[in-house]
Amino acid sequence: MSEDEKKARPYREVDTPHVHIGFDKNELMLKTFLMMLIIAFASVIVMGMPALIHILVALGSVLAVYTTIDSYQRMKGVELTYDSPASPLVAGMIVALCMTVVGPDLGGRAPYTVTALVGVLTMLVFKYGQGRYFRRKYINPAAGAKALVLLVLFGINYLAETFEGLFGGALDGGMIFHSHHSPFELDVLDPNEFVDLLEWGFTTELPVFGTELTATQSLFFWQTHSWIGGAASIVTLIVGAVAVYWLRYKWRIVVSCFVSMLVLSVVIGMILTGDYSIWEMVSMRVAFHVFTGSFIFMVFFMATEPQSTPMPEISQYIFGVALAVLTFAFQLYGIVGGSILALVILNIATPFMDKIVIKKAYGFKGKSAR
Amino acid sequence: MAKNDKMRKDRIQKKFKEEGGFEIDLDIKIKAIDDEFSEVPPADEMRVPLRQQVGSAGDPIVEEGQQVKYGQKLSEDEDDALTVPVHSPVNGTVKEVMRYENPLSGAPEPTVIIETKDEEREPYYDPMDPDKVSRDEMIERVRETGIVGQGGAVFPTHAKLKDAKDRVSHLIINAKESDPNVACDARLMIEEPEVMVDGIKLMAAMIGADNVIFATRTTEGEMPKLEKILKREGIEIARIRPNYSVGYGRLLVTEVLGKEVPDDKNPTDVGALVQNVLTAYAVSKAIRDGEPLIDRGLTYYSKDVGGKNLWVRQGTPVSKVFEFLGESPGKYERVILGSVMRGTWISDPSIPIIKAHQGIIAYKEEEPHPYEDQTWCIRCGYCNDVCPVDIYPNLIIEAQDIGDTDWLQKLNPGACIDCGLCAYVCPSHINFRPKMKKAKSETSKSKLKQI
Repeated sequence: MSEDEKKARPYREVDTPHVHIGFDKNELMLKTFLMMLIIAFASVIVMGMPALIHILVALGSVLAVYTTIDSYQRMKGVELTYDSPASPLVAGMIVALCMTVVGPDLGGRAPYTVTALVGVLTMLVFKYGQGRYFRRKYINPAAGAKALVLLVLFGINYLAETFEGLFGGALDGGMIFHSHHSPFELDVLDPNEFVDLLEWGFTTELPVFGTELTATQSLFFWQTHSWIGGAASIVTLIVGAVAVYWLRYKWRIVVSCFVSMLVLSVVIGMILTGDYSIWEMVSMRVAFHVFTGSFIFMVFFMATEPQSTPMPEISQYIFGVALAVLTFAFQLYGIVGGSILALVILNIATPFMDKIVIKKAYGFKGKSAR
Repeated sequence: MAKNDKMRKDRIQKKFKEEGGFEIDLDIKIKAIDDEFSEVPPADEMRVPLRQQVGSAGDPIVEEGQQVKYGQKLSEDEDDALTVPVHSPVNGTVKEVMRYENPLSGAPEPTVIIETKDEEREPYYDPMDPDKVSRDEMIERVRETGIVGQGGAVFPTHAKLKDAKDRVSHLIINAKESDPNVACDARLMIEEPEVMVDGIKLMAAMIGADNVIFATRTTEGEMPKLEKILKREGIEIARIRPNYSVGYGRLLVTEVLGKEVPDDKNPTDVGALVQNVLTAYAVSKAIRDGEPLIDRGLTYYSKDVGGKNLWVRQGTPVSKVFEFLGESPGKYERVILGSVMRGTWISDPSIPIIKAHQGIIAYKEEEPHPYEDQTWCIRCGYCNDVCPVDIYPNLIIEAQDIGDTDWLQKLNPGACIDCGLCAYVCPSHINFRPKMKKAKSETSKSKLKQI
């Protein structure tokens, strides 16, 4: 190499572009948190103190794990996994809003320890753990944690029922798995039993005006029994739609899931009418299948979790449709709240779904990609 | 402000709207658009790289100590279709013919150092009368005067004209000026519309195109003088979407004609030739005035100075531009040559301006840095949504990381146009470009193996 060549300094390897849109991950997380805060506020108004305590417990448990991880990493001088608490806050709020409150009419049970357990598992195992070991979250953290606890409680409860007296029925009030949600006791398929279930679980009184709400009305506006995130479905629907547009969530999942569930509800309402008119049954089916918290909150804020859902457009539609079908099937089978299981199953299938169909790149649209 | 000026200002687009609803702020462009061109005087010592275009460098035809005139050829290689001559930007003396860092590659390449004697400009070539010469002679003049694409791609113009001659039905003039930090094309459209339109007509005559389309992002009435001339000459104005990526040649063809340019073909294969407005200006100057391509318009921007449109000779060190503006490169942490989306970040201000540089932008340390807080991918999909060529940057990177070459091949990283939009929108501040480059090279190697 000549002296000139030696003297010539190569460019600094800094890559384009030299500007950024200015919207970063923390901002995305904080705005998501703010959107969910509106839902949380509405939920506390509807469900009262138990919802507030659940929210505080979930946020507290997640933040406690985050603080521990952060302190440990700072102490060890290693690279921080989270440069702000924004992402853990979102995880905590999702945990809170996907937990269930049982209204006063049903005993008002709300075991906060389960919420705390789900919060800890969400942050430690499914968020931090997955990220650290796989460099990616394959399963939605809150859904994974809740499903795990659900399955464990289901097993214990099954044993408790099988070996009556061993557990003394103490788990009947289990936060995630209620005995009245047993797949062997609910018959959502039978139209008349379905209406009974709806009236038993959701008929409520609006405290402000003293108005008695039908189950259908309650499912739209004022649910005191169900996921905290769906207490005021109408609020969740509006806030969710705004968030999808504003923060550019994977809207294809939301739309396809929502439409599929709507279609399934209408179809089953038209086929299985029982003692009711088609209109009555369709409206009740739509209210129940689409507007329970386990669906409406999940579809906007859990099914759109970016890392555990597909990237290609067609795969997102498939994901959304499959999620609706699976959730619907679980609901019909009596596993109310089974949307979590459906989501986890589809999360696991995401790496395969990513490969189903991709758009043809520019230059290849007129012919098949080589 | 005159009524016309105000009307124009009101019509200027404030943002480029990209796919997926993302936007690029055009603040720099808007601020610079009203600034009249100023000519930067040559430096005492000009460093003229002998390769300023796609293709290889010509052989030097001057020696140390030789007197050269403004516009005189410094290099030549008639055998290589993609080589064009480079000309002396000043009257002066060749101080040295050496290898020096080339602004296109960053590697040492042949460069002529000239000591400037004076700033005089005397056209080196004889003016041509287009009515009295053949089309081939005009194309040869384009080659001889070293004209290359001025939009940033620096593809030799004569090669494109030759390829398009009697093959294309449409000449599309790219007046999109996509780079958000550049306003020199728009400024030239305001200051020199007659010369520019003349160049367009000359190119249309050279290739025998029946249809000439002037593709612009501007709205009706924004550039009344130019619009009037285009109307007079029967040139159709296509008002295209204000997307940054639409300015890319192939995508512009699709935007204007609705035809996709297949991956293994050129725009000429679908009946269109795309040329930039500044190139049209240079063609007119070369034919009518005998002026080789020695200088070009560019837009300088820094927060302190604002946007400035400058006319700079090739070989002028960047430091001379700063000096002309009363600035010091030392006060900036990052100096970028070319586009803020695609340009090169230089560390040495003695690097010369060449035919490819449509802009200079200088950032201080406290100004935002795009990759400062890079984190891992959250798979939000913004990069896919915004991609103008419909590839999946994040899936490409994933496939690369896990070494799934079959999947990588199907994802077509080769279609990437290096526009930088994926990195621009990434909330994790991921720097996609090197990864995409690697993916491109991996798939092309794999394709070669299959062949």
